Amino acid sequence: MSEQAKTHALKGKRILIAKPGLDGHDVGAKVIALALRDAGAEVIYTGLRKTPDYIARIAVDEDVDAVGLSVLSGSHRDLVQQTRESLDAIEAADIPIFLGGTIPAEDWPDLFALGVKKIYTSEMPLADVVASIAETLK
Amino acid sequence: MNAPQKTDRRALGRALSRTANASVADVLASAQGASGACRRIGVTGPPGAGKSSLIAALVRQRLARDGDIAILAIDPTSPVSGGAILGDRIRMEDLAQNARVYIRSLASRRSHDGLADNLPDMLEIIENAGFAEAILETVGVGQVEYAVRHVVDTILLVMPPGAGDQIQAMKGGILETADILVVNKADQPGAQQLASELAGVMKLRGEAPSGWAPPIVKTSIRDSASVAALAEEIDRHQAWLAERAGAKGRLEARRAQHVASLVARRVAEVLERTSPEDLRRPLAGLYESVIRHLAVFNGAA
Ligand SMILES: Nc1nc2c(ncn2[C@@H]2O[C@H](COP(=O)(O)OP(=O)(O)O)[C@@H](O)[C@H]2O)c(=O)[nH]1
Ligand SMILES: [Mg+2]
Repeated sequence: MSEQAKTHALKGKRILIAKPGLDGHDVGAKVIALALRDAGAEVIYTGLRKTPDYIARIAVDEDVDAVGLSVLSGSHRDLVQQTRESLDAIEAADIPIFLGGTIPAEDWPDLFALGVKKIYTSEMPLADVVASIAETLK
Repeated sequence: MNAPQKTDRRALGRALSRTANASVADVLASAQGASGACRRIGVTGPPGAGKSSLIAALVRQRLARDGDIAILAIDPTSPVSGGAILGDRIRMEDLAQNARVYIRSLASRRSHDGLADNLPDMLEIIENAGFAEAILETVGVGQVEYAVRHVVDTILLVMPPGAGDQIQAMKGGILETADILVVNKADQPGAQQLASELAGVMKLRGEAPSGWAPPIVKTSIRDSASVAALAEEIDRHQAWLAERAGAKGRLEARRAQHVASLVARRVAEVLERTSPEDLRRPLAGLYESVIRHLAVFNGAA
């Protein structure tokens, strides 16, 4: 693989970064959005406090390849489940969900069972997160 | 391939992606043609002028009439990474909940004119999906307005107060292509001064060959009467276009430009597949080889 292809591993991919739920911190979401952009992705950002239905609708209208949810409020379980259901209900069962934020390790198995593709915490190096997303979307 | 209808958002979204990514050969194979039935409005101007906010305000009012509305918002692709942050829809959040509004964010990608790859074809999909109106947002600085001219009927140039110096610099180009000059953020100081400066420039210019005198409209997204006045000017321009004898010629000019943009893309496709050895050949030979390859669609290109 050439250096160019490696650094721009997400070229041609469209990714929605969304913040469902009530917490008001979107620094992490913005940092990841920029990192994905720098890896070649077209990133659509929704802003704070979006409902799962709204997020699913935008994902379909924008025809994204993946939805990245950023959740710091602790209600990741419900929000993931509802977003997955909203997507499935509008013929978007094939759009994968990635989850980022403060997600305790004991919750991971449940979240994967609910349909989350990958989970990223703030301790993970950005480059690893980007590489993992690129690998999953290949 | 059947044309997706505006109610089938999954199919519409996918058709637009497919077209955005399509090679010239694919575009030609799936082209449906367009009727010209959809009103097309272009909104251009410098970043931060309030284009996205103003489009949202306009659409809220224009939904009072019949018909659904599509908004295509183009943001620049980073030449370094090829990626883009597409943030226009943040200003249109309430509209995204409305079933009669479709919002699609686009990156300019390889397009060098400030538009997006295969934009004319995407607009045809929007038109054939049954939207009554399409609104196109582009970042306008420099050459963009000329390219926009051929894909929309009515061009709004949106400027914030304090853009006076820029106006002086761009007297020629940009002001000549716009159909409506919009001074936005009229709730802020300097709007009246900019409007006066614009009026001065337009007066110096004299009557346009087309006979249309671009109005200068002051708007604030906080003042719905000002947005209504802008909507009226858009309608007045559309009515003027429809009455003109040249109305038919406009669609033909649009088609000519459409094919010109396909040829330009095709040239880029061929050049991308030309080897460095060939690129070192004498110019005449290289030119002939490129011309020969243009009509030969093989493989992906
Ligand atoms: N005061 C004021 N601010 C406005 C107005 N229209 C837009 N803005 C603000 O200007 C900023 C840029 O707006 P945006 O619509 O994103 O501009 P764009 O880059 O041209 O699309 C935002 O903070 C808007 O809230 C207006 O009429 N008055
Ligand atoms: Mg904008």
